[in-house]
Amino acid sequence: MPKNKENHIWLKATILFVIIFLSFYLHVTNGMFDMTIPDVVKTLFGMGDNPKFSLVIFEFRLPRIVIAILVGVGLAIAGCVLQGITKNDLADPGILGINAGAGAAVSFFMLVFQFNASRSDGSEWLKIMSMPLFGLVGGVLAAGIIFAFAYKHGRLDVERLLLTGIAINSGFGALALYLTLKMSEKDFEIAALWQAGTIYNANWAFIVAMLPWLIILGIYIYRKKYLLDYFQLEESTIVSLGINLEREKIKMLLASVGIVSACVSVSGSIGFIGLMAPHIARQIVGIRHRFVVPFSALIGAALLLLSDFIAKTIFAPSELAVGVVVSIIGIPYFLYLLVKAR
Amino acid sequence: MKQSSKIQKIIMIVAPILIVAVTFISIIYGTKDISLHTIWQSIVNFDKSDPDHQIIRSNRIPRAIAVLCVGAFLAVAGAIMQGITRNYLASPSLMGVNDGSAFVITLAVVFIPGLANYQMILLSIAGSAMGAALVFGFGSLIRNGLSPVRLAIIGTVIGTFLSSLATAIAMYFQVSQTIAAWYNTKIHTVNMDMLLMSMPFGAVGLVLALICARAITITSLGEDIATGLGQKTKAIRYLSMFAVVLLTGTSVALVGKIAFVGLVIPHIVRFIVGIDYRNIIPCSILIGALFLSLCDLVSRYLNFPFETPIGVVTAFIGIPFFLYLIRSRGGQRHA
Repeated sequence: MPKNKENHIWLKATILFVIIFLSFYLHVTNGMFDMTIPDVVKTLFGMGDNPKFSLVIFEFRLPRIVIAILVGVGLAIAGCVLQGITKNDLADPGILGINAGAGAAVSFFMLVFQFNASRSDGSEWLKIMSMPLFGLVGGVLAAGIIFAFAYKHGRLDVERLLLTGIAINSGFGALALYLTLKMSEKDFEIAALWQAGTIYNANWAFIVAMLPWLIILGIYIYRKKYLLDYFQLEESTIVSLGINLEREKIKMLLASVGIVSACVSVSGSIGFIGLMAPHIARQIVGIRHRFVVPFSALIGAALLLLSDFIAKTIFAPSELAVGVVVSIIGIPYFLYLLVKAR
Repeated sequence: MKQSSKIQKIIMIVAPILIVAVTFISIIYGTKDISLHTIWQSIVNFDKSDPDHQIIRSNRIPRAIAVLCVGAFLAVAGAIMQGITRNYLASPSLMGVNDGSAFVITLAVVFIPGLANYQMILLSIAGSAMGAALVFGFGSLIRNGLSPVRLAIIGTVIGTFLSSLATAIAMYFQVSQTIAAWYNTKIHTVNMDMLLMSMPFGAVGLVLALICARAITITSLGEDIATGLGQKTKAIRYLSMFAVVLLTGTSVALVGKIAFVGLVIPHIVRFIVGIDYRNIIPCSILIGALFLSLCDLVSRYLNFPFETPIGVVTAFIGIPFFLYLIRSRGGQRHA
């Protein structure tokens, strides 16, 4: 029977890929002006003769789509890891305040270096590349505070974890607001929009900046995914398996914070993807992280791509911050989880 | 008990003096230097054509008063919520009350523009009631949902949801800017009309709170004791929630969302004067007013000559305190 099961997994994965592809199709053909499929295909393969089309596709739509997919994958994986480490279904980088910490650090970076990535045309490579690093510092700081407060008597208190997250969220949010107020008016508006979670100023430089983080840390997490299964066991059992529990936990945590920081520095704070994707994945493929991690990644990409499509088109020509769309979809789901858990 | 009443007397005497002093400072100092003489003239001998007089009359004085009132309102609202829910984390900003009010205001700005000020205040109060009802409704749906921590989480999440919805609606109808003015603290725009209009609502709330004080003390001891003492717990609960809604609704209508005042002040007050709400509520009024006017002063000078939103200041003070509360009392044992 295991063979049969594997087939199911592939079938499910295929369905997800189809969904992602459909979202991709919607995203790439709709926008300020609609394009037909032949136009898109021609332009994509360099056979188009309309320079306007290739400008729109290569400079605006494609980077945005790629970033939506990457950020979706990153947040979903990070959510998986956090839920695994904390043994808690309600953990999410946004709820825990890691987003906010990274966000405050990136705001600080923007202020100090008088640099606003969303406005940049991608020519300031060094600065764009160092943004995720700053985000990482903030994210690690936030994660450090959260875990310092949540550890008591040598174990992680889940409720306290969430509460500290709320506090850290509003604290770093206030800090970021304070920092952005020191910027010029123009920068402030963009920074405020960026904090709400938005990817419409995407360009290729961002992708290059976040890709190494996502690939290296993503592979690391994927290779260590069996640990996430072990974390679900009793602590004494894990220790008796010869695993240095605390050290592995911290390594996994750092990896996920790194991914989140890279995502936040590019797209601002987008919550609830990291919460929803692993949940949906577990409903589809069960609890083994061998499947949960890749499936979460796919689901995260699909969710964020669809949300971004909604954000882009629903109130066109004005853009809604994608973070807002994700919260409106994600929060009812979160409440549903809470109600169902009773 | 004797000692706490002594401390309370000291507070009752010292706090008003400090309040007067801070208010005085906040009227005298501002971005524009105005001499004491001019200030006095603007009060006793108002000259419409003099810009300095206008600044004092239509900006600094209303602002100083508004900050005092809102501080008192929010502190009392927080104290009542913590008392009747026996929840050490209850507070208007954590329980979706602020966000509910801001959400309804958004709807009003979009769908029924041109409302008078007093109608806005009423709507804001209705919104507070809605937010609170949503959060507590969900809390009672969920197992263990009314425990301090769970309720705080539900409150935060529903609050985020309401404000996301409001953002989307505001975006769609292109009134983001108007809404932003309502949402964010807008102390600098307070005017005398609005202030006078909202006073009655707030005053009713405060009086209700003072009347209920004794009953709240009893409720805070536990349901069984309260019922045993012959108290109509349900009625008290509704009445005091009504006071909370009046107080927060008015506050949001006046100056927008301000977090952490309603959480922090009642704790400090309880620490000083003990558990009797007949002492806690009057002291919350005084200390809340003092705290918020101090924050307002700080907010004006933190980034001089630009103002920092007062919410940033209250957050910087409130969050370490919140963390301390979690650290010392949080966790499953108390949840």
